[in-house]
Formats: sequence, structure tokens, C-alpha cells
Amino acid sequence: MPAGGRLSRIGQRGGLQCRAVKPAPFEYHAPESVADVASLLAEHGDDAKPLAGGQSLVPMLAMRLTRFEHIVDLNRVGELFGVESGNGGVRIGAMTRQAAVEADAMVAERVPLLHLAAPHIGHFQIRNRGTIGGSVAHADPASEFPAVMLALDGTAEVASSSSVREVPAAEFFESTFMTAMAPDELLVALRFSSWEQPAGFAFDEIARRSGDFALAGAAVGIGADDQGRINRAAVGMLGVGPTPLRAASVEAALMGLSAAEADPAEIGRLAADDMDPIGDVHASAEYRLRAGSTLVGRVLAAALSQVQKEAGLG
Amino acid sequence: MSSTAAAARYVGQSVKRLEDPRLVTGHGRYVDDIVLAGMLHVAFGRSDLARAAITRLDISAAEALEGVYAVFTAADLNPHNDSLRASMHPPEVPAPPANMLADGDVRFVGDPYVMVVAQSRYIAEDALDLIDAEFEPLDPVVDYETAADSENHVHPELGGNLAHDLPVSNPAQQEVFASAARVVTETWHQHRQTNVPMETRGIVASWQPHAGVMEVWASTQSPHEIQLVGARVLGIGEHKMVVHFGDVGGGFGQKMFLGREDMAVLVAAKLLGCPLKWIEDRRENLLASNHARIEQMTVSMAVDEDGRFLAADLDQLEDDGAYPLGGPATPGAMAAMLYPGPYRMGPVSWRARTVYTNTCGRGAYRGPWQMESVAREQMIDRVAQKIGMDPLELRRRNVLKPEDLPYAVSTGLSFETTISPDQTLEQAAAMIGYDDFRAEQAQAREQGRYLGLGIALYIEPTSMGMGPLGTESAMLRVEVDGHVNVFMGTGSHGQSLETTMAQLVADELGVRPEDVTLHQGHGSGYGFGTGGSRSAVIAGSAARAAASGVREKAVAIAAHLMEASADDLEVADGVISVKGTPSATMTMAQVAVTAYLNSDALPEGMEAGLEHTARYKAPPSTHSNACHICTCELDPGTGKVTLLRYVVSEDCGVLINPMVVDGQIAGGVVQGIGGVLYEHCVYDESGNPLASTFLDYLVPTAAEVPELETGHVVVPSDTPGGHKGTGEGGAIGAPPAVFNAVADALAPFGVHPNRQPLDPSTVLGLIASASA
Amino acid sequence: MADQIPLSMTVNGRIRRGRGEPRLTLADFLREQALCTGVHLGCEHGVCGSCTVLMDGEAVRSCLLFAVQAEGADITTVEGLAPDDETLHPVQEAFRDCHGLQCGFCTPGFVVSVAAFLEANPDPSDDEIRHGIAGNLCRCTGYQGIVAATRQAADAMRGGGR
Repeated sequence: MPAGGRLSRIGQRGGLQCRAVKPAPFEYHAPESVADVASLLAEHGDDAKPLAGGQSLVPMLAMRLTRFEHIVDLNRVGELFGVESGNGGVRIGAMTRQAAVEADAMVAERVPLLHLAAPHIGHFQIRNRGTIGGSVAHADPASEFPAVMLALDGTAEVASSSSVREVPAAEFFESTFMTAMAPDELLVALRFSSWEQPAGFAFDEIARRSGDFALAGAAVGIGADDQGRINRAAVGMLGVGPTPLRAASVEAALMGLSAAEADPAEIGRLAADDMDPIGDVHASAEYRLRAGSTLVGRVLAAALSQVQKEAGLG
Repeated sequence: MSSTAAAARYVGQSVKRLEDPRLVTGHGRYVDDIVLAGMLHVAFGRSDLARAAITRLDISAAEALEGVYAVFTAADLNPHNDSLRASMHPPEVPAPPANMLADGDVRFVGDPYVMVVAQSRYIAEDALDLIDAEFEPLDPVVDYETAADSENHVHPELGGNLAHDLPVSNPAQQEVFASAARVVTETWHQHRQTNVPMETRGIVASWQPHAGVMEVWASTQSPHEIQLVGARVLGIGEHKMVVHFGDVGGGFGQKMFLGREDMAVLVAAKLLGCPLKWIEDRRENLLASNHARIEQMTVSMAVDEDGRFLAADLDQLEDDGAYPLGGPATPGAMAAMLYPGPYRMGPVSWRARTVYTNTCGRGAYRGPWQMESVAREQMIDRVAQKIGMDPLELRRRNVLKPEDLPYAVSTGLSFETTISPDQTLEQAAAMIGYDDFRAEQAQAREQGRYLGLGIALYIEPTSMGMGPLGTESAMLRVEVDGHVNVFMGTGSHGQSLETTMAQLVADELGVRPEDVTLHQGHGSGYGFGTGGSRSAVIAGSAARAAASGVREKAVAIAAHLMEASADDLEVADGVISVKGTPSATMTMAQVAVTAYLNSDALPEGMEAGLEHTARYKAPPSTHSNACHICTCELDPGTGKVTLLRYVVSEDCGVLINPMVVDGQIAGGVVQGIGGVLYEHCVYDESGNPLASTFLDYLVPTAAEVPELETGHVVVPSDTPGGHKGTGEGGAIGAPPAVFNAVADALAPFGVHPNRQPLDPSTVLGLIASASA
Repeated sequence: MADQIPLSMTVNGRIRRGRGEPRLTLADFLREQALCTGVHLGCEHGVCGSCTVLMDGEAVRSCLLFAVQAEGADITTVEGLAPDDETLHPVQEAFRDCHGLQCGFCTPGFVVSVAAFLEANPDPSDDEIRHGIAGNLCRCTGYQGIVAATRQAADAMRGGGR
């Protein structure tokens, strides 16, 4: 599935520099059910591409950086839209617009990190079309929702004409723009569980301009017992590796500490050990390591401050 | 001129723009909105390699595609053009070969080598996919610093990569250096940027066989450049070249001249005998239109113990790319001559060189010579730091004061008595609250926060009077119903000339601005167009003179009809009245009816009609001046720079429309901010451009720029309205002001940048290098 | 070449019908078949915002949609905002009052975006305005007049303006 995020990094791929601005011809399909989508994907395999919000796929088609004989539009598949309650958390249909995720009260209450991350995605016009499933399936390492999904151990519901399966976030993002989904599979929904304990969440990123993709970003959740001792830590990072990443060393260092006494800047520096950035026209790899770990520290500080409040200690 | 000079009723007012009702409702007419019967669409096939021989070019599959009408290669089009010369470019100066399409080899990524004409742009691009071309890569010349010595020649026809080398040595400078208390040397670098008008280039060309007429609609700053050069390319007379001028979506210098693609479309339209449309796409615009500011200047400056500027030695090097838009130019020479700027400065030696590389060609970009301000203002801060003096104080000691004027610059320029750099310096310092900021900065540093302040003071040469730039004309006609049409050679593309020219005419003629319509393009007399901060002074003076001529006649007719003395009449808002006798009036319409429909009633011997044409010849230069001061905060953890405040004090003489002046300044300033902090046309070492979309070429958004505070000093120029140009100034002052602010914020780390861009990665790298 | 398919949608209150291949963008359909040349193409890769229109009330980039996807939709372009030929929409009025435009090329996208932004945020702070309009690029104004216009339009629209 194409992304609902931004057009990402196309300019840095070299090769074809300027040739086109209008897409090559394709055959258009507008199925109305997941089953029909799945059968179209089964029939056309690699020649077919699902079209979600189109905010990344359409520019790539327009510049003819990619082309498909069949475009399978998901925008008329009603069952892919919407947020519902599930297993103490939420189930979000893959075609749910980023703007709808941002505005959804249940999401804000049960999965605050999605709510906090959403405004960082592009601009409101982009979020009006872009979808959460598109973002996740596009698997841009600098994209917000994939990093949140990874941090929170979300689950992807994936369907093909022959099977339905669930893929945990840790197994979903394989490499840059590559996921565990096969070409005939469709991302149907994402599941997130809510944290039933005092918790603090924070998200931030460094971008060149407002709305640009992140040079480095962090999605942090910290849970504590009612004494304010940290017993759960989730730190996702974006823009600092070939996929979204978890800062395992930061999470390990946080566990068992008192939220009041943890030194976020110091612990944030550990994040560099978990990064694997590359340089591009916007920032060097070295920059992403340095500024990224500084940022992780700052986002940790915000989450720590909130978790203390939630634990009644702030 | 009229003996009854009008009171300024509209000049000086922020009159709401006459352009706006159509533009805010989507009813402007830009070139892509032109649709002609039978019109076909053009797309260019462009090189993906910086330098390569074309070893195979088979267009047969593309030609065979349904909906394709023609596929042209170099052999089809190039013989129809003897020169890519712009009107400004003297034929004796060597230039790149006249290749509208690459012939045998390609010379930069984006070099057009094939042109498809098809039923739609979609099909034209389908055809490009079917072009079967093979290339043998050659070693490209990418680095302009070493280009002159490279054995690889961008244009083998020219025998080398050095386009210009102008050394001007002043022995007096060397003498001063030998005895100076201190000589400070630094090389200042700018980096590759591009104009980025929101509307890309584009042209519609329609050839009428047998009539021999070429009709053109184009996104241009200069309809007469198209008329003049287009006629030459096509081998037709200018009377057969009809250039329509509609709305133009910005240019900033990029649309002053015809590009190779524009010429190719003209030639192809004539060959095919049907209307063609080419609308450049954004990636073409970013990669193959024009780049600018790829330059460096090594400056040595001698100062005495009190910080007085004694002498300077300058070495300027600039990258012309492969096919400079408008031909090879020498802005470096102008930069060197302007280097002393608003300061007393002793003798200056300079050298200016330009080289060809296998990159996108250089072109004019808002203040093409502004390296003088960049190098000088950054140098002054460096000198201040070296001698331990406050940078404002150092400027105060050297700035030109009224008693210094007129001032003969050692490089040969001269500044008139109507400049006011010292006043703008003081006004800007007061606006920013200079001393208070320094106190705040010191306090912030104690808290681990890094604030910075940057100043840039400059003189802007506007409305230059030489060569084709020297004149503009206005043909003004009061129509039978009293409304006014004025035809001018300008090319307003955001400068609000429909409003400002109407304001000038309204005051001078005695009508209301909304009674005046400006017509540009076909039917107007020669003018270089809108660019070079020239329209207010040069075109404005022409409009004023034309209006004045008509007013004189209108008053004479009215005096005759009313049996009054012309000296007793006044004209305002289309009504001619006898001073002190408000009941005795006549309307401009009544006068016009007499002039055209009842000409027997005119005074004896008076020519019928109510129209006048005037042409204004500008003096060599009309200088404006300004001071920019901005403050910033640097985040040492992320290297991000946030601009806190930005003030501009400027003197553009008499303001025609203050809202428009402030708008011009703001636009230029934000382009300058973009240049220093965000924008960069990056090439890799193989000559591949890496910033080919708006996701990688970072034009600032509203969220990146601070609120601008503008102050005005008004010293009228000696030109008829007292105006001075102001279109480019913002983009001249902003780069050094922003650079100096960031450098100031970095100073506590002991690092001193000498090159842009100052993006977060670069800034953090500088900090890291200091602490390493 | 793919077949041409019939297209139909409501544009500024009127049904517009046309034909096009599936690859025809909504922006090109609006410009070429629905007579809305106020929809401007500044990048055709979804960044500059010049082509912004309202689709079923939401601001979207029309260069990133195919016309076929808008089948049956309700589209409003910049041409559809003003109530009549003599009156401007408050956002348009404010752009004129505050010199929120120079060359005018980005303006249609800005006007549509600001109208949508203010619909959702009737009383924005200056910072919210600057980030709210960051999805549209302008190269002429330095955004000074646009920010001021957005502020003025917000006040006018809250005050029950036209």
C-alpha cells in the first residue's frame, strides 16, 4: 500500500532527474470490499498497486519514478475506514485519514502518542487525504506513525485472498520502504492497546521546515507504578535508520528508575547506540546521531514530567 | 511640463491593488490558461548525465506513437538560430554554442536533447519514454573552483572553461596594505540557489503561415526582449512579432531573457505552422532553468588602529554553469566595483572571473551582484571581531555621512547626495533596540542560551541607465469617455505596476487610479521590462511625463471651452474646475468628447485627440540604501536557528505605495533568509543534482520566517518623482544580516563560519569541531 | 493507452461532466474541463499547495488526486468562494486589504487553504496561523501580508461577516 505520508526522499535517489510530471497510463479499479481488493491483488500481483491517500504514491507516479499497470483505489472500501474499540485499546482501519486519527477522542484517550504524533505529519491538507495505513505500509523510516506503531508494539492486520494474519510491529518494518507484506496482501487495520497505568507520552521531531519529514524524531511512552518508579518504557525513533527503530538501550536504562530522578539528557545520549543513520542533502549521519540523541533526551524529559503528574507526584 | 502641477492625492497612499480582484478570485490569466484551437503540447527529453556523448538517438518509436505530431532533435532546430544572445549580450563576446537542443553531446543534467510535440502533455511524456538514446559518459567539470584548470572543457568550441577574467589592479591599494596597521583576509562563499517563481517558465507560440506573423504569450518579465530576440531567432521583422502579456507568476530575474526552450518552441511552432504550448514543470525549473549565487570572494581589508577602512583587495570567482540564461555575464565585476558600498574606503584592487561547468546555467537572481554586500558586511563583522570592536560602532566610524556626498568611489562609481546610509543605520539600530539586545544577549549566554545579531548596510544601484536598460516609454490615451489607457514596455510580475503606474498617472493627469488601465506587451514601445529595480523610476517617469503632456492639453481645451485661463484651472479625479469657483467645472470625459468627436470646437490649430507618448532616459544609476538587522537564537543541541526579530530601515525616496514597498522588501528578505538557512541546489561530485523537488529544495514557509518591521527614511532622488528602486534590496541585505546573526550566536564556541548554507547539520558540525 | 472514461462531479455548485483517462489528475480536469483555471499547478508533486481545492468540504491537493477519484464529489475551487461577481469572500477581501499577494500565482491555493483553516480554527494565534498556512508556498510576499490577511479574515468571519 502506498503511503499517506509525505513524498519522501525521491529527490535523493539520483538516476532519472527530470522527465515527467504526468503519470503513465494505468487501468483503474475501485473495489468496494476488502475481498474484492484481495482478489484484484491476487490476480495482478506485482502489476497492481493499492492507492490509499496517494500523498506519496501519486507524486511518484506523476514523475514516473514508479509505474503500475493496475491501480487499485481503496477509497471506496468502506470497511477500511474508522476507529473502533478493541481489546482494551483501539482498532484503526487502514484507510482512516491522518486527520481523523488526529481528531479522534478515543485515540487521544487510549493511544495518546498517535494523537501527539499526527500534527507532525505534513500539513493539514496532506492529513485530510493521507491515511494511517498508507503511512505504515509505505514504511518511510522518517515517517511518524510507523515509529509510534513500533514504540507501542502495535499490530498490523493483513489480508490476502487466501489468508488473514496479524503482524507485530517488530516484524513489520523490514527495510526502507519494505515491509513484511507480500505484493498480494493488503493492510486492513492497525491495533494498539492502551496503557492501564500512570503513563507519560511525548513526541517531537527535528525537521528542516514546518511539515517536512524528520531529520530525527522520537516517540516516547513511560509507565510507572504509583510510587513513580518506571516499569514500562517505549522509545521509538524516526529518521535515524533504515526503518523506524526502538531505542532499546534507553528503554533498559529507564526501567526501575524513579521518574523524578532519571536524568533524561544523560539517558537520551544512549539512544545513539541504537541508531543507524545515513546522511543526505538535509543532514549528515553524524548530525542525526548527535541531534537525534539530544532530541530523545528532550522528549524523554517531557514524558517523565508527565508521568510524574499522572502518578500524582508532579 | 504642466504649469499646474498636481497635488499628490494618490502617490504615497497604500492604494489597494487594481490587480487583486481578478487574482484573489482565480480569474488571472497566466500563460498556462491560454488555449488556442489546434494547440499542441511540448515536452523536452533531457540529459540524465552531466557530460556525455550521445552515441545513439532513435526517435522512431516516439514518432510512431498515436497523438504525437513531431519529434525534433538538434539537426531540426539548431540551424534556425545563429545565436543564443540576449539583447544585452554584445555579439563580439564569446558565448556557448547556439544549441537549442544538445547536438552530439550533453553538457549538464537537464540539457534538452529532444523535443516532442503531441496532442497533450501526457502523450508527449509517453513519447519521451519511447526515445531510444544511448550515452557515453565523459568526465564532467563540476567543481567551479578548479574548473579553469580542468583539461575537460564544458564547451570544446571555446577552448577552455574560463569565461571571463577581469583583473583591475590599483597600485595605491598595495601601498596602503604595506603600511596598514592590520590586514584581515577571508574567503566568503555563497552557494547554489535558484529563483523559484511559483509559476514556472512557459510559452505559447502561434505561427500564422503566409501572414508571417508569430503570436506569442509568455511568462516573462520583458515582453520586448521576446519581441526583439524572438524576431531575430525567427528571421522576421519585429512588426510581425506579436507578444501578448498576461499575468506572470513571479520571476526574480529568471524571466528576463529567453531560454533555449523558449527559442526551440518559437522555431518549432514556425516549422509546424500550428500553436504550441510549453509549460516547464517544477523539476525542470529546479534543475534546468537557472541557478545563481555560486560564487566566492576572497577579501583582504586594511584597517587602521581606529578601525577605519583603508583599502581592499578582492578576488571574485563565479560559476556560470553550462548555458548561462541570457548569456555569459559579469556580475562579479559589478560586485567588486560596489564592494566599498556605504562606507568611506580607500583604494581597491579587484579581479573577477567566471567559469563554465557541467551544471545548470547561471542566471539573474534578485540583486545578481549582491556578493558585494555579502562579502563586505560579513567582512566587517570579522574585522570587528579581530580588532575587538562592536560591529555597529565599526560601521558608524566608516559609514558615509551627508558631508561625504557626493562620493566618488575608488572603483569608479559615484554616489549622489540623495543617499542616506547613516540614517538607515541609526534607524535600524534604534528599531531593534541595539544596546538592550546586547544586554539581553549577555544575560542569555550566562543561562546557556545563544543569541546573535547581524547587521547589513548597503547601497543598491537601481534603475541603471546604460544600454538597453536606459529607457522606457509610455503611450497614454484618454478615451472618448474619459477613461485612460496607458501602454508601457514593462513586465509586471508581482510588482503591482497596474496600481502604482495608475497612481502616478492619476496624480499627474488628475483622474482616479481606477480610471487608468495599464497595458503591457503588444502595442507598447520598447522597454527592457521589469527587473533591475527599474520600473518605479524609469517606467514611472515615462508614465508621469505622458500624463503630464495629456493633462496640459486637457487643461488647454477646458480653458478654451470654459473661457477661463489655463492657469486658473485645477484637475482632480477626472474633474477640471476653476480654482475658487467650485461651480465652474468640466469633466475629463467632456474634454475627451470634444477632442475626438467635436474637434472643430478645439482651440484653433490644436491637434485633435487626447493622447501623448513620452520616453524617459534614466541617469546612470539611482541609488537606494537600506540597513537590515536581525536577531536569532541558536539551539546548540540541534543546530537549529530561529530568527527572533527582523528590522529593515530603507530609503527608496518618495514611496509611491508604501504597502507595495513593504511587500517588495519582505519578499526579498525571505528569499535571503531562505538562501542562508534552507535553500541549496546540491550537486554530487558526478554532477547529479540532488535537490530536484520541493521536498529537497526548501523554500521557506510562513512558519520559518519572523514578522518583519520596516522603517522608512525618505530622501527624494533627483529623478522626476523623487523615487528610487527597491525591488531587489531585500534579497541583497538579508543574506549577510542573517549570516552575521548566526555567526554572532556561534562566536562563543570560537567558530567563525565563512560559507553558507547555515543549515542545522552545518551549524552543529561547526560546534562539534570547536569542542573536538 | 487506457480508455477514456466519463467523469462527473459538482464543481462550485454545478454539475460538470467530462471524459478522461484514469491518469488524468483532478487538477487537470478542473483546469481543462471544468473551466477552473484558478486551480494553479506550481509543482505537481503535492508540496506547493497552489492547486488546493475543497473536496466535500476538506482542503486537498488536486494534483494528488485522479479525477476519477472525485467522481460524484462536491468540489469548490477559488472561483467558487465569492458569493457574487461584485463581492469577495472575507478571505479574498483580506488578502487584498493586507497585500497578501503579489504575482498572484500561489493565491488561489492560499485563499482556499486559509478559508478551510479558519473554518476549523476560527480564532487562531499567530503561531497557529504560521503553522496552519505552512502547507502553501509563496515566493513573493515573505508571508507578511498573508499572515496579516489570515488574522483579518479570522476576525471578519468570527464577527459574522459575509
